[in-house]
Amino acid sequence: MEYRQKLFDKLSVEQVKIELLNTAYGNDQTFLAKLDPRTLFIWYLFFGFAPWFIHNQAILIGMFAFVAVMMLIAKSSPLIIFILCLGLLGQGGYLLLAAWFFGGDFSTIMPLVILTMKLSIISLASISVFTSMDPEKLSDGLLKIGVPGQVSFSISYAYRMLPSLIEEYHHVFLSFRLRGKAPEKHGILYWRSIAYFVKIAMLSFYPLMLSTSKRARTTVEALETKGSFYAFNNPKVKAIKLAHLAFRSRDYWFLAFSLVYVISLFVFGILYFK
Amino acid sequence: MTSAEQIKIENVTFKYPGGEEPVLNDVSLTINKGEFVAIIGGNGSGKSTLCKLINGLIPHYYVGDFTGSATVKELNTEETKVADLSQHVGYVYQDFDNQLVRARVLEDASFAPLNFGYADYKDRGKRALELAGLTGHDDEFIWQLSGGQKHLLALAGAISLDPDILIMDEPIAQLDPFHAKEIYNVLKMLNEEYGKTIIVIEHHTEFIADYCKQVVLMDKGNVLWKKPTADALRLVDQLMERQIFPPQVTQAAYKLDAFSNKSIPITLQEALEIFPNQKYVEEVAVHGPTNNLERACLRPVVEMEQVSFAYKTITRSKKTVLNGIDLNINQGDRIALVGNNGAGKSSLMRLITGLVKPERGNVTVKGKNTRDYSPEKLADFVTYIYQNPEEMFIEDSVRKDVEFFLKARKIPEYGKKVDRILEQFELTSLQERDSRLMSGGQQRRASLAIGVAMNPSIILLDEPTANLDIATRKHITRLIGTLEDNVEAVLVATHDMQLVAEWANRIIVLKDGNVLHDGTRESVFNDRELLNSAGLNPPQIMELSRELYMSPVSYTVDDFVATVNKQFGEENSDGIQTKII
Repeated sequence: MEYRQKLFDKLSVEQVKIELLNTAYGNDQTFLAKLDPRTLFIWYLFFGFAPWFIHNQAILIGMFAFVAVMMLIAKSSPLIIFILCLGLLGQGGYLLLAAWFFGGDFSTIMPLVILTMKLSIISLASISVFTSMDPEKLSDGLLKIGVPGQVSFSISYAYRMLPSLIEEYHHVFLSFRLRGKAPEKHGILYWRSIAYFVKIAMLSFYPLMLSTSKRARTTVEALETKGSFYAFNNPKVKAIKLAHLAFRSRDYWFLAFSLVYVISLFVFGILYFK
Repeated sequence: MTSAEQIKIENVTFKYPGGEEPVLNDVSLTINKGEFVAIIGGNGSGKSTLCKLINGLIPHYYVGDFTGSATVKELNTEETKVADLSQHVGYVYQDFDNQLVRARVLEDASFAPLNFGYADYKDRGKRALELAGLTGHDDEFIWQLSGGQKHLLALAGAISLDPDILIMDEPIAQLDPFHAKEIYNVLKMLNEEYGKTIIVIEHHTEFIADYCKQVVLMDKGNVLWKKPTADALRLVDQLMERQIFPPQVTQAAYKLDAFSNKSIPITLQEALEIFPNQKYVEEVAVHGPTNNLERACLRPVVEMEQVSFAYKTITRSKKTVLNGIDLNINQGDRIALVGNNGAGKSSLMRLITGLVKPERGNVTVKGKNTRDYSPEKLADFVTYIYQNPEEMFIEDSVRKDVEFFLKARKIPEYGKKVDRILEQFELTSLQERDSRLMSGGQQRRASLAIGVAMNPSIILLDEPTANLDIATRKHITRLIGTLEDNVEAVLVATHDMQLVAEWANRIIVLKDGNVLHDGTRESVFNDRELLNSAGLNPPQIMELSRELYMSPVSYTVDDFVATVNKQFGEENSDGIQTKII
């Protein structure tokens, strides 16, 4: 009973909302968060894509160590890290089991481990970058590199609406519970109860969609009166809005350090681990 | 157009495409610079449409058949873009929450100045926030704000471009009296010190009497007249005919029929000057419902012992909402739960439903500890009716929503019961409609019907009369009155002191998560200190009767009129005087 209650506490809709918002907006004081979004884009461009083309284990291990440290600096939410580990362990464990079961040995497993390693680097890099950029920063960064105003506005607006939507979803979900009937017996491994909750969790989306479309009317009118449609692609507005973006010395130092680290890693890896 | 005339609407008729009746029908209206205008009228009389005509959303955004002309600050709205008009007209919606589009307070307040390319957009946003009285929250997220603060932010957003005209659609519908006054004081300041023209759509005539200078009455898409506030509110007949209720003191004076039309009071102050300040003594000691607390045998249906409740905030810190509550709800209780926004009213109700469990202490409902039972199980005894009816609509028609509970429990022949309930709440003709698309009053009736269909022992109503016009409010109050026959206890959380005074037999006052007082309405409304510290405003008619030293105090207009008439009846028999004045 006690454990079940605790588990439910962690899994509650409220908790998910809190974690999501903290991931999105919570870490604006870390080193990475103070960098210019463009710096992070450049950094991510390498660490998010390069691992696919690298097969040298030493280099991969070195990159993994780097992004792992970055993730620590970024102070990602524990929930996100937990989900990531669960995914990687699940994936890796399953492949390991399959390889072992079909008579594979170390040489079969090795490529699988490398694949998992690549995936981890990319995921960790993504988490570090995106926890360090709140939606506003991301949308400003995108605007700066030439993405249309509508797209960058939609990103920040979606995040502004997220808590309201989750709250409303929660209310509807609770309405189902307040009027519905839960199964009398939990069933083996709680399957009846789980099926019941999954069902109302899905049904709760329908009322939400209908009421959201109704609310959207006011929002669109407000956007119109606040001149957003006129401003989206107006170069003057864009310049004022993005005036606060600037490369500072910490951006240069960070990029330089990353570059030096990666070059040394390659030299070391290619020379000593062929 | 003279320089004083700021808004001039001439013979405007507007019809939505496919609509049968025009929503604006040959409307002509002039509003001068610096006026503070209230627009009144029944539901669907075209109030919001008229306001959207002023900021250009009609005919630019809503396309339809449009004739006539509207001019705002010498700009023809038909030829001017909405964005350009919005430099002159600010608009705060009734559902202002959806008007906030950025994540942080200052970003939202400075959004419009940024869009119009002002380099000092942040200063403009800050200035608007200052004017609206929302300072010190610049970097907070809007979901951290309370309802009242969000409203002020929407107001700041609307005045960020420094427009000369500000329109507010039902500014105080969701606020407690304290926050309502706060909003109106801001509007008053903008009007008097900054010379802004203010237009509000308002149902609360007592606020109109205190703050507005002119009143515009609308009916079926027409503007019937525009008059100075005092003249307008004295037209009691015309207003009542359209289900608009003048201030209670005005109603009382009108019903007494003892005043010439010119001297009918519209504010408490005026009433005090005109009603003779003398003691109306009535012999009857007990007035209204008897004191249930003193009944010999109390049978508790809900017991709360030492209940505390806290929730986690966005910053992962805990916020205590209820603090060691000891409370029994007994059979026959009609409880009004009062206190300011954030006092813990909703949390207390949700604890009884089992949706949330107490952090410490126990909540027992009909002998069942809520810790051990799911909300589904407790729903057999308890019904919780949300503040926002829309959150209760989980099906696509009224009928399906009402029968959901009965169907899930496979109650035999539930159809008949549903028919009866739909009839009782006047929803029979609406039963196939999607509840979300109905009017506020209809939605509220539907939510009550859903609750009653659950055949509960205990009904919990969260702000049942918020967001409704006064006529619908009275209707809902009547319906709540009929609930008592079937249920053991009713608990209503509300700011509506008229509902409290007319209906409740027990009042629980909450403040900062503690029970400040628990007693009869006499004990609450006669305790000046208590009212002040809990931020409660007694009904106007009560204030009047108390200021006149009437004993007992009148809780309703009818009480007041009866007491005064009786007094005069006695005086008449002594041959003293027949009429005041």
